[in-house]
Amino acid sequence: MEDRLEKALNWALENFKADYIEIRYENISKNTLELKDGTFTTFADKGQMGVAIRVLADGAWGFSSTNRLENLEKAIESAYRLAKATAKAKKEKIQLAEIKTYQDFVKSKMKIKPKEVPIEEKVERLMDLESLLKEDGAIKSTWLRYEDASGEKILITNEGTKIKWDLNYAWQYVWATGKEGEKLAAARDEVGAVDYGWELFKEKEPNEEVAKRVIRKVHAQLGGVAPKRGEFPIVAGPIVVGLIAHEALGHLAEADLTINSPFKDLIGKQIAPEYVTMSERIVEGGFGNDRYDDEGVPVKDIHIIENGVLKEIMLNREYAHKWNMEPNGHARAENYTYPPIIRMRNTIFEPGDWNFEEMIEDIKFGYYVVDFRGGQAQLNSAFQVGVQEGYMIENGEITKPIRDTSISGIAIEALKKISAVGNDFGLEMGRCGKGQTAFVSSGGPHMRFDGGIIIG
Amino acid sequence: MIKMEELIRFGEKFFDELEIATYKSRDASVNIELNEVSTSALRERVVTVVRGVKDKRLGVAIVDSGDKEKIKEAIERAYKLAKLNKPDEKWVSFPEPGKYREPRKVDKELKEVSPDYFVELAREGIGMASEEGIIVAGGGGGAEWGESLIVNSHGVNVSQEGGGAFFYIELVGMKEGKVTPGIFDFDAKLSLKLDVESVVKNALQKVKWAFKTEKSKTEEAKVVIEPWAVSSLLSYALFPAFSGERLVKGTTPLANKIGESISNELLTIYDDPLHELSINPVIADDEGVPTRRNVIVEKGVFKGFVWDNYWAKIHGVESTGNGKRNLSTGGISIGFHNVVIEGGKKSLEEIIGEIEHGYLVSGFQGAHSSNPDNGNFAVVANPAFLIENGEVKGSAVFMMSGNVYELLPNLYAVSREQKVLPFGGSMVVPAMAFDNVRIAGK
Repeated sequence: MEDRLEKALNWALENFKADYIEIRYENISKNTLELKDGTFTTFADKGQMGVAIRVLADGAWGFSSTNRLENLEKAIESAYRLAKATAKAKKEKIQLAEIKTYQDFVKSKMKIKPKEVPIEEKVERLMDLESLLKEDGAIKSTWLRYEDASGEKILITNEGTKIKWDLNYAWQYVWATGKEGEKLAAARDEVGAVDYGWELFKEKEPNEEVAKRVIRKVHAQLGGVAPKRGEFPIVAGPIVVGLIAHEALGHLAEADLTINSPFKDLIGKQIAPEYVTMSERIVEGGFGNDRYDDEGVPVKDIHIIENGVLKEIMLNREYAHKWNMEPNGHARAENYTYPPIIRMRNTIFEPGDWNFEEMIEDIKFGYYVVDFRGGQAQLNSAFQVGVQEGYMIENGEITKPIRDTSISGIAIEALKKISAVGNDFGLEMGRCGKGQTAFVSSGGPHMRFDGGIIIG
Repeated sequence: MIKMEELIRFGEKFFDELEIATYKSRDASVNIELNEVSTSALRERVVTVVRGVKDKRLGVAIVDSGDKEKIKEAIERAYKLAKLNKPDEKWVSFPEPGKYREPRKVDKELKEVSPDYFVELAREGIGMASEEGIIVAGGGGGAEWGESLIVNSHGVNVSQEGGGAFFYIELVGMKEGKVTPGIFDFDAKLSLKLDVESVVKNALQKVKWAFKTEKSKTEEAKVVIEPWAVSSLLSYALFPAFSGERLVKGTTPLANKIGESISNELLTIYDDPLHELSINPVIADDEGVPTRRNVIVEKGVFKGFVWDNYWAKIHGVESTGNGKRNLSTGGISIGFHNVVIEGGKKSLEEIIGEIEHGYLVSGFQGAHSSNPDNGNFAVVANPAFLIENGEVKGSAVFMMSGNVYELLPNLYAVSREQKVLPFGGSMVVPAMAFDNVRIAGK
């Protein structure tokens, strides 16, 4: 396949005057299973194959994609012509930051690749998870989704980048609905990995653990009481801390969004207490881990907030040039039908030195928020997170669960109200939508906010 | 597109029954980023989904191709999977052929339009928005063209084609160190006749409102919710409850509510892809079942559920033509084509004009965290605006938490104007005004 792509690239170089040409090919097989209340409603084998082409000409981008390889040259030509047409409307010409180019093969770190596992075993495991969930009398309906993928991705550019990936992932999503009397409640759970294969389900996230977690979340809501509305001390668990890191702060540190956000004028300034550090980095088991991004740039660990100071942002080559910074490997594309855009990978708060008991012992009345369902943020860092598992804190102790509520605030204000950073760490897997879907993870330690977050 | 009958005959060697659906798409679009046109794109894709059933065992294969040989391979792969699947004792059969309504005339221009067209449109839009303190943070425009062919071994054979165009813009105001929330407006049509001027004008008006911030109180107040916000809230908190699958499983709060009022006579909701404003005019759903006008709520009274083929047959009713395919899994689930909420008598301007003290909501954050199983929601109204003495005063962010079934009876006005939204296919939605809404101010 590399030969076919290189032939097309050389043909394009002979025929067009482009500043940059990038060809990204992928050929991936996926297994998708959905088990809804005893029935596999999806039992699919998917072949996804196609090519993405991005051309920079006269300072503007053109993009095309096709899944007909016989049209490869034609697709390059359309991307080129699109770039030329767009250039006419452009005031500021796009330039790319210089990079060292790599020729590499990115091996998978998986011990057991999902494609090596017989489908019968995948089926059995999901059925087992379903029956574990339904052993609980309150669980009325379950929806389990599983997907894995194995295949290859090749990136070549006219600058000499030539990277081939052995691409694999595994992912599982659980949605369970519980009912007790007239009360209905639902809970979600998501796990996934790019570096762990089938061992994810065997060692890290066995069915028993997942089921226990989901059942706990459903019961917390069924037995939950509506919280008092208002601003109280909030202790957030790793999953919620991760969501604030991702939704409310992470997006503001994506260079294409930073430019319109309050972060723009805050780089280099103290925005949080000095014991707060937030990073975008490779994490053990992180769902956003990779060696290179989709522009062939090595993925680099960065500190968005270091000791309370807003320091680094996520860049692709275009924005790295605009900001006069080094690209750090955050250009990602969902698949061959999309151009790469600036995305997060694993966004986390770094642990501190408080333990959980110390954190809650002097709270007379407050809330402990453990898990969310959906979250969203605005460019001014206003965020809203639906809480699917949370508890009251009364006189230094965790008491009753709360139900169907949400927390909200302005993250850059809430950051200043962080009064304690825990010495533990947790990571949550998820998918982030920014026009395209990307596998990401987010997390951190337990953290306490004295104000800045409203519940209810 | 290729002759499918031959492939169905081939598939019948393996399966008791099967369905082949091919979707061909072409998207031409441009992006706007930071006051500039950024990328133009042309994307083409063909996807074929094979679903086959052997001894009540389902097998699905999806292939990025419409070629005969590739589809044959997909049929064989689907069969291999079906043999490994467990039998689904509830399975009845794929749909039988039905009678389709007359398709809408399609605008062939959409099939060929070059992204250049949208480069020009985007340039126009950016030009109109270039005022001091206003940044065009994002936006885009484009046209989508799709052709589909759905056939099954019971004789369903329906092909459709059509397309639509869209334009949207997101403005952010920055003045004296103050950043407004992103203000978004858009237009979507079945032709290239997009109204860029109104899109930009509406968004600009709101940014200007947003420059002035007002405090919101914790109180019970009148709240007028604009179409985009209505659609996001109801799509997550209410519409899932209309699904027949949830009726069968007992996870809809509407289970015993047919014939009962869930709101008042101002509320009428139906799903009809051929409604005059629809931008998703399909005559058949993704299983080839004819679409129709399904009345769901009439003058406040809940009329009934919507169904796909699978759940309808289990429940012993007819599919309402609401089977929608997920192209990444091949699966069919119950969904809507074009939900219409009927407009009322007053204009939005009149509704606002009559409010002494209240709020106007353009968008909700966090609507997707609503709980469809019981209708509970907890959202942040943003962008939202304070209304005093019939006029919009400035932006005011607040939280709104409650239950959609407690909210709907408080509906007191519906705007005459309806907006077409590219939400879940297509939606046609007015602004809706509610009384006594509990809000938590900031």
